[in-house]
Amino acid sequence: MDERELTARAKLGDEAAERALYDAHVDRVYWLAYRMSGRHDLAQDLTQDVFIRAFDRIGDYRGDAPFGAWLHAITTSVVLNGLRKVKRFDQREAVLEEAAMVTSPTREAEPDLKDRLAQAIEALPEGCRVTFLLHDVEGFTHEEIGAALGTTAGTSKAQLSRARAKLRIALADFVGEWIQ
Amino acid sequence: MTDNRPDDDILDERIRALTAARYNAPEGSVPRDAMWAQIAAARRAARAATAAEAAAREVDVVPLAPRRRSRAAVAGWSALLAAGLVLGVLLEREVFNEGPEQAVAVVPPRADSGPAAASPETARADGAPGAARRDVVAPPSAPAGRVRDGAPGAPQSYAQAEPRDLPALGDSTVQTFYRTAAVQTLVQAEALLIAYRGAEGTTRDPRALRDAARWARDVLSSTRLLMDSPAGRDPQLRMLFTDLELILAQIVQLSGTPLQANERELIDRAMRDRDLLPRLRSAVPAGLAAS
Repeated sequence: MDERELTARAKLGDEAAERALYDAHVDRVYWLAYRMSGRHDLAQDLTQDVFIRAFDRIGDYRGDAPFGAWLHAITTSVVLNGLRKVKRFDQREAVLEEAAMVTSPTREAEPDLKDRLAQAIEALPEGCRVTFLLHDVEGFTHEEIGAALGTTAGTSKAQLSRARAKLRIALADFVGEWIQ
Repeated sequence: MTDNRPDDDILDERIRALTAARYNAPEGSVPRDAMWAQIAAARRAARAATAAEAAAREVDVVPLAPRRRSRAAVAGWSALLAAGLVLGVLLEREVFNEGPEQAVAVVPPRADSGPAAASPETARADGAPGAARRDVVAPPSAPAGRVRDGAPGAPQSYAQAEPRDLPALGDSTVQTFYRTAAVQTLVQAEALLIAYRGAEGTTRDPRALRDAARWARDVLSSTRLLMDSPAGRDPQLRMLFTDLELILAQIVQLSGTPLQANERELIDRAMRDRDLLPRLRSAVPAGLAAS
């Protein structure tokens, strides 16, 4: 049974079809939620909310785009709203320079790189951080990101550019080795 | 960006790869079945709510207007449940806590219960109206002559035969009664909260909002009655009832109109801080919620 047929049956309330759609997409949704939140319990709650909302609104899905793209737009919206609610982004508006000040000025080993990377990403403004993760890591297009965030593809491109620039500065200590 | 230096492109690619591998990278397995169980439960609750709403709409179309009858039926069931719980609370107080005199005061004899109106059995007890009422409150597990024989030194009531600080629920019919009532209320509460959460931001139909508010009020009433019953003596259940009461009171107070984002945020945060849904699920025996 192809996805078009599954969505048609899910619109009629067929639970087996809903389960099939869930099985086909749950991994992607879950890991995206985990990537954005960093917590398995939160990723689990958010994933459930995504599918509950998607199945509630499946009547709005017209089938002119892949179901996955439609679902991922819902995912992005639910995940971002969920993260705002749990105030995971409290510190994310801090300027990158502040983050750099609290980090060690000397480079030591790989674990330090991982920490520095996490700090640098989390210090990005929310829009930049989300755009960077969705585009560079999760493979979303600028058009998809713009639709999910309620902005334009141009805004997405600008935010990605800012995010990359800030990350380059924040991780400048490692530049020498990488260039080689 | 097109004005990137070549080094920047190398750096960007390196950062991207590093982020993909190190920043909240997938690890472990996806708890598919556990999540699906919650999703399916929420979907079933939503379908039930939709069906109820559709039924209410159909009723509106019929000129005979049985909607009133439907509301009356809902009110009747609610009243029946409330009356059952009130009766249970009174029974419990009479059986477990009150002395014989207070028992008479709680349930006074009927105005027409003179000696002529008393049954032969109660008349045989001691002929006093108060004693006749005590027959009613004797628990099923009590020996037949325990209350009625009136022999010197014999217990006057079940309350006197047991210490005042009984465990939360005994091994009697009373226990079964309250546990069943508690489970029913908790199942209702779980369904209500799941439906509330699932309907986030979508419900603006005034009738649906009124129905939800009425549902929440019914569950809130049952919860408060249970808090005052033996079921409320169980420390864990009492804590759960207390938290549930708070959330339901918020929902009732804010219901009837579309919720503002900050109002919903308050309720959501309260539910989350108290782990309410997980605690409800763990308090309800497996299989009951699904049924």
